Amino acid sequence: MSERDDQSDDELEGQLSRPGEERPPYVESTIIMTTVRVIAPFVLTLGLFVMFHGASSAGGGFQGGVIAATTVVMLGFAYGIEPIAAYLRNEQLAALVLGGLGTFLLVGFGSYAFGGTFLEFTLYPIHHGSKYSIELVELGIGVVVSGVITGLFFLLGTGLDSAYDATEPGEEDR
Amino acid sequence: MSAEFLVAAVLVFMVGSALAAALLRDVVASIVAFAGYSFGVAVLWSFLRAPDVALTEAAVGAGITTVLFLLTIARTTVSRSERFEGVSLRSGLAVVAIVVTVGATVPALPAMGAGGTPVLGGEVSQYYLDNAYDQTGVTNVVTAILVGYRGFDTLGEAAVVFAAGIAMLLVLRQEEFV
Repeated sequence: MSERDDQSDDELEGQLSRPGEERPPYVESTIIMTTVRVIAPFVLTLGLFVMFHGASSAGGGFQGGVIAATTVVMLGFAYGIEPIAAYLRNEQLAALVLGGLGTFLLVGFGSYAFGGTFLEFTLYPIHHGSKYSIELVELGIGVVVSGVITGLFFLLGTGLDSAYDATEPGEEDR
Repeated sequence: MSAEFLVAAVLVFMVGSALAAALLRDVVASIVAFAGYSFGVAVLWSFLRAPDVALTEAAVGAGITTVLFLLTIARTTVSRSERFEGVSLRSGLAVVAIVVTVGATVPALPAMGAGGTPVLGGEVSQYYLDNAYDQTGVTNVVTAILVGYRGFDTLGEAAVVFAAGIAMLLVLRQEEFV
């Protein structure tokens, strides 16, 4: 297997993509950067729509959360992952994720205050109380999912770089 | 009739991209073929009138998974190649055996959308379809079941995603300090 790899490397010289440390931090393409700048707000809006409107149409917290996190992924690809990861720190993401799960639990336990049991949404004494609590729960799920995906994206995009730098020069690959 | 033709076209596309994902030697091309396969699955779900599942498959399977694969591959030195992976006789036989074995179970399944299947005739699903709007005030019955009737399960799912996120933060940041 490794023989075949070496052989193909020799044959296809010049077709190797550059290793990580030689690449520029972002794409440096005007088309991609402009496109991302234009469509990012719309993608975020679509994600929030899918999250909020999951009660009345297809969608829900899981799907909407992923679409909302895609905004960060697009911005990362266009403008470099490092600056965006520096702007949104892991502690803030963890707080966001914790807040999402906390919202779910709060709505779940809240029905005890009105003499019900866990997750008994119909007891909330507001108009369409059940529907709005379900939407609030979907929003919480969406925040959890988008926070986790953003964190995973940042960790895979930046975390390994520091590990890469930490190794002695010359012993990274071979 | 035309819907069946479209479903058949999507299935052919899925088989083609699955074969490409397995056989292409170029890792990046293989990842893109895998994303195409996921997208085919998403289109198939929406043809089969499961828009919620289709949305999930398109966002998670075709979107985020591909991004994470590409991100991981970008950290390595990728050898670009235009050739196909060689298939040995033994693995070819294994693939044929698996396909035949799994394919043999397909005639045992009920026809798609046939009445009298346990899902359509079951008391539970009929109860949900009859009462979901009155009891939860939510018009999307999938959401009504997920959060309204099965809220505890969904809380478990959210907790799993949360725990996975926290574990990932701990483990991957541990690598950083080695």
